[in-house]
Amino acid sequence: MSNEYKITYKTENTYDNWVNNAYWQFLIIPMENDTQHDVNVEFSNSLFADNDYSINGFGFKTIRVHPKIKFKQINFEAQFSFIKDDIDPFDFPLDLDDTLANERIKELDFKIDFESFLKRTPLTSLPEGTSTNFEFNSANSIFENLQNLNDWTFNYIQFKAGVTQVDTELKDVIASRQGVCQDFTHLFCAMSRKNGIPARYVSGYLNQEHGLIGDSQMHAWAEVYIPLVGWKGFDPTNNIMANTNHIKVCHGKDYKDCAPLKGIIYSQGQNKTKYSVKVQSQQQ
Amino acid sequence: MANIENQIFSSYQKNPELYDEIFDSEGKIKEVYQKLFDIYGEHSISDYVNLNSKAKASFFNQGITFQVYGDNDVQEKIFPFDLFPRIIDPDEWDIIERGSIQRSKALNLFLWDIYHDKKILKDKIVPIDLITSSANYLDQMNGVNPPGGIYNHISGTDVIKHKDGKYYVLEDNIRCPSGVSYVICNRTALKKALFGVFNHYQTHTVTNYAENLLELLESVKPKGVDVPNVVVITPGMFNSAFYEHSYLAKTMGVELVEGRDLFVENDFVYMKTIKGPEKVDVIYRRIDDQFIDPLEFRPDSALGVPGLFAAYKKGNVTLANAPGTGVADDKAVYTYMPQIIKYYLNEEPILNNVHTYHCSRPDELKYVLEHIHELVIKPVDEAGGYGISIGNTLTKEEIEKVKLEIKESPRKYVAQPIMSLSVHPTYIDETESFEQRHVDLRTFTILGKDKEFVLKGGLTRVALKRGNLIVNSSQGGGSKDTWVLKK
Repeated sequence: MSNEYKITYKTENTYDNWVNNAYWQFLIIPMENDTQHDVNVEFSNSLFADNDYSINGFGFKTIRVHPKIKFKQINFEAQFSFIKDDIDPFDFPLDLDDTLANERIKELDFKIDFESFLKRTPLTSLPEGTSTNFEFNSANSIFENLQNLNDWTFNYIQFKAGVTQVDTELKDVIASRQGVCQDFTHLFCAMSRKNGIPARYVSGYLNQEHGLIGDSQMHAWAEVYIPLVGWKGFDPTNNIMANTNHIKVCHGKDYKDCAPLKGIIYSQGQNKTKYSVKVQSQQQ
Repeated sequence: MANIENQIFSSYQKNPELYDEIFDSEGKIKEVYQKLFDIYGEHSISDYVNLNSKAKASFFNQGITFQVYGDNDVQEKIFPFDLFPRIIDPDEWDIIERGSIQRSKALNLFLWDIYHDKKILKDKIVPIDLITSSANYLDQMNGVNPPGGIYNHISGTDVIKHKDGKYYVLEDNIRCPSGVSYVICNRTALKKALFGVFNHYQTHTVTNYAENLLELLESVKPKGVDVPNVVVITPGMFNSAFYEHSYLAKTMGVELVEGRDLFVENDFVYMKTIKGPEKVDVIYRRIDDQFIDPLEFRPDSALGVPGLFAAYKKGNVTLANAPGTGVADDKAVYTYMPQIIKYYLNEEPILNNVHTYHCSRPDELKYVLEHIHELVIKPVDEAGGYGISIGNTLTKEEIEKVKLEIKESPRKYVAQPIMSLSVHPTYIDETESFEQRHVDLRTFTILGKDKEFVLKGGLTRVALKRGNLIVNSSQGGGSKDTWVLKK
């Protein structure tokens, strides 16, 4: 079974003063992978500037815009349509013997191959001396431990918008125990890496038609690498495995590698930005 | 002793503890310097006072200046130029040249490896921490194949001559090594001041640097480009090395640009000209990694070009040196250079490394604790000279304190023998005479596609303060014309 998705992404930017020069980079296109295909992209901006299709430093598709005229307002609108196959998160033998996997994660070669997703970044570093910790239980399988971590993260943080920023470090998240999807994901990644399991930050869209919790804009979750199984998606904000409702755009070490929109604006004074994301699906 | 008759050197004091490059241990002038010594002796010291002030004025008038950052009143300074040249005989040069190429090639292979298969880590030749703990390792470079397979197109290798008469490498500079313009200016200045001396020596030219740099940069052009368009990108005229950036662009006959002169469209890089956009294929960049593209790296960088990294990653433009090269230009990587050379080239290192003791290894820790008075102790994780203890300057109490610190956290420290840089007669303004001063040498190596070039000369830097071992220009260092003799 599969779903036909339509996503509309809009942003309106208004500036007090003339903007003489500006660059934007959008990292918002659903990626093509095993379960997402036939991606069709329509993108436009109100100034009719060229939309430059390119990639970011990690090879994910981007759109760059550089208007060649001065302006006080610019709007962007993107429409993505694509097919998303149904995902069964449990498509592997759950009674898998973990002895091999546990050996594998201790090997140097493994640590080197997954170095990017095992290292601590400023956004995924636990504060020195914190008592906040999630330790894997050796009596459980890696998968069970990750499910428990998902549950633990879900219960540790209370979902509340407006408390944290995109660059909030874990020490502040741990202090307030409030945050949004990127905070859940950063904490989950930090704990997974600490236990030797590679974890990457995933940026994408969430289909909220079925009552899942997320931002009204873009969503974040984690993918972890389980030896002999592969990359598996966990959404700690909702305490579920990533499924058909999770539409992936890109991944990275943390939010910084995945920022949906980067702008370099040469202007003075205040600006107002409005975003809206609409995710619609139709089962085929 | 014969040299006393030479009036220029009549007051030259030879400290027997130091390795003098022109006098042997018995105080006799070395053969290769004899002619130079005689010619200089024909002049009086007042001639040098005169020539010295003329040389200074010439540097100022040409604008060959630099700035020291952090001063309250930022002043244009000249890099003091010394009138007494340094001579390197062909056999010694051969070692330096082959050694510089060997290191540059090994570092290039190392960079390829750690951005691809990471075999050297898996084979446990160097520890994985070298990458995980380095701020200069760029994840974005993983799997990227730079055109021609070259990362460190331009390397500056800092070598010293120790009192044992052997050359040792102190540092490999493979980010944006500077100083090559001084090499060429020093030659010009000496020719102006004392032209006659060149008649007596067969010295290799240094003015061929720019043509070789251009040729090798062109050799690493992106695929599908016939005649590449090369530019030099500078952070701007307020950068301390701006003179060099403009000099290199001028002598290569290519455009000198700033970030705002370039733009990226459809993943190709263009230069704005009065005749319209012109495609750019190879960029010799003198801007650090973090500033080259505000959309990929530091967003507050006004120096870079938005979209440049994507164009690079797509293989449409060459950046020299490649992004991420700085990871190999690291104190910790330096200590593994002998192993790195052996691993990739299956050769013995031609130039010596200063031996490094890792206090984390028990037998080496024992040696360090017993020989602190003759070692330099360096913390592995501090930069900028912070936390360094020089054994022979410590009091007994201080030695005990350092020992205690090392014993507490041995992993934190490495130790190296105290190196004694050779000395060279240098004209000193204040005393109006020639005195012994410590010198080092920076060589310039260029790697291209299946080609390499080492400038036969290099920058000899002089520590102008008596007894000072630090030769950096910001620390009051000067420089000398450096002659490599033909065979």
